[in-house]
Amino acid sequence: MNLLLNVQKNFPGFQLAADVTLTGDRVGVFGSSGSGKSTLVSMLAGFLKPDAGEIVLDDETLFSSSRKINVRSEQRRIAMVFQQHALFPHLNVRNNLLYGYSRCKAAHRSIHLDDIVPVLQLDELLDRNIGKLSGGQQQRVALGRAILANPRLLLMDEPLSALDDSLRFQIIPYLRSVSEQFGIPYLFISHSLVEMRLMTDSALVFEKGVMVEQVSSEQLARNRMGQSQVGYINLLRLGRSLPSAGLFAYPWGAGQLLLSVGSERDDSMAELSSKDIILFKQHPEAISARNLLQCSVRSLFNSGRKVGVELECDGNSLIAEVVQDAVNELSITPGCTIYAAIKASAFRMLPS
Amino acid sequence: MLLTESDLQAIWLTLRLATVVTAILLVVGTPVAWWLARSRSWFKGPIGAVVALPLVLPPSVLGFYLLLAMGPNGPVGWLTQTLEVGNLPFTFWGLVLASVFYSFPFMVQPLQSAFETVGDRPLEAAATLGASRLDTFFSVVVPLSLRGFMTASILTFAHTVGEFGVVLMIGGNIPGATRVASVQIYDHVEALEYASAHRMAAIMLIFSFLVLLALYAWRSEEGKKY
Repeated sequence: MNLLLNVQKNFPGFQLAADVTLTGDRVGVFGSSGSGKSTLVSMLAGFLKPDAGEIVLDDETLFSSSRKINVRSEQRRIAMVFQQHALFPHLNVRNNLLYGYSRCKAAHRSIHLDDIVPVLQLDELLDRNIGKLSGGQQQRVALGRAILANPRLLLMDEPLSALDDSLRFQIIPYLRSVSEQFGIPYLFISHSLVEMRLMTDSALVFEKGVMVEQVSSEQLARNRMGQSQVGYINLLRLGRSLPSAGLFAYPWGAGQLLLSVGSERDDSMAELSSKDIILFKQHPEAISARNLLQCSVRSLFNSGRKVGVELECDGNSLIAEVVQDAVNELSITPGCTIYAAIKASAFRMLPS
Repeated sequence: MLLTESDLQAIWLTLRLATVVTAILLVVGTPVAWWLARSRSWFKGPIGAVVALPLVLPPSVLGFYLLLAMGPNGPVGWLTQTLEVGNLPFTFWGLVLASVFYSFPFMVQPLQSAFETVGDRPLEAAATLGASRLDTFFSVVVPLSLRGFMTASILTFAHTVGEFGVVLMIGGNIPGATRVASVQIYDHVEALEYASAHRMAAIMLIFSFLVLLALYAWRSEEGKKY
């Protein structure tokens, strides 16, 4: 994807301005409610006309105020996954899925129904009515419908915010399949740092209608760690687990981690918040946490009122967060040795 | 015999009138209702008020102005004479035109409400999936507004069947041409033929009740679908 976005839009009491070129296939748009994310998406999709500027996607001008170009939504080949699914209740699952596909030019049809159904696990649902589906199933159908339109860009506008926490993490692998399996670049809009971290490589950050930065998702997570309730989300690639004294042992770099949940997958992943890591200057004598790692401090960084401590443990990287007083008391400096304690229950497995 | 030939003629004329008016209003009222549901124009208020006028105007007032408009010196009369169609008052097509005006809000308002209920999201979703506006209207809006279409059609039909004042003003009382069921009942009462008036009135009462019953039953079934 190569997307030039240079747009301005004025509303009474609110102004949106963005001037950026986006490359990469997994780009996020991050901001709190009212920051202008949805306005930006509406202009990209063609629902809302910018007051001035230009939108160019892969060398095709979709909007230009100076050249008086404004390509209609249906001709942009930009599909969208909405927060509330926006499925057509009068059509069953199959006909919802085929709505965009049947309107797509034959030359653009590279993804077919048979490609989508197994990946999104829709086999059993094809002849069901939309009203009979759960929220997660509806979101999978909405995703399949958008992919089957064979777009050149997919907009995902807070697609997980209508789902409860456990369902969100079940849906994420399906959303990631858009780029990983079907090769469709996407723009993922969210106010969640966790979702940004899991779904995107880079992110545009909006505040009060102004694009304030364009950073990698990893950097965004570091920058926002101090203000976020969830802290920095460490993503850990783990292998298959083995039972160990009522817990599950996972190989992790040169060492191992004990988790309270097991996985039989070779490619299992877990997340760990920076808030759930406790640091010790010296090896504690006795501790209830089942994971005590000897690490070296790679670097320190400030994020709001917190200090991020980047650790190297058993050849892996971890970020913990502490307050400045703790840094001073423990004399944490780059290169020093430190012990990190993590409860087995602090990890959350991510669906693969 | 239960009904006279004149009664049957009046019933047949009434059904023809209501069918033609409903068909015309489906075609004319749908775009007006769509515009009223979607437009943010300043004109929306005044046009909405004009559409609703027949709901509050006495039928004789509407009938009077329509009679003037269709008369030889009125704009509609001038047009029909120019087109060599002749004058519309006291003809079946005069009744049709008057009924179209009189029943306009009964078609437009339920449709407008149904279109507003559809909201923006399905239209935006259809657009991002490559559907043109017309395609979206027929593939998304119409199916999602079926209840509105059914309600609007039944109300328009039933309202046209029950018209009295406007049809009397425009159509008069010509057997086989403009004498509809409501006028026939009026004639029976004028002639003190209460038994005949009862029979016609009962038929209209049962008809109206059955129409509304069917409408509510259908709406209830439709409501279970989504």
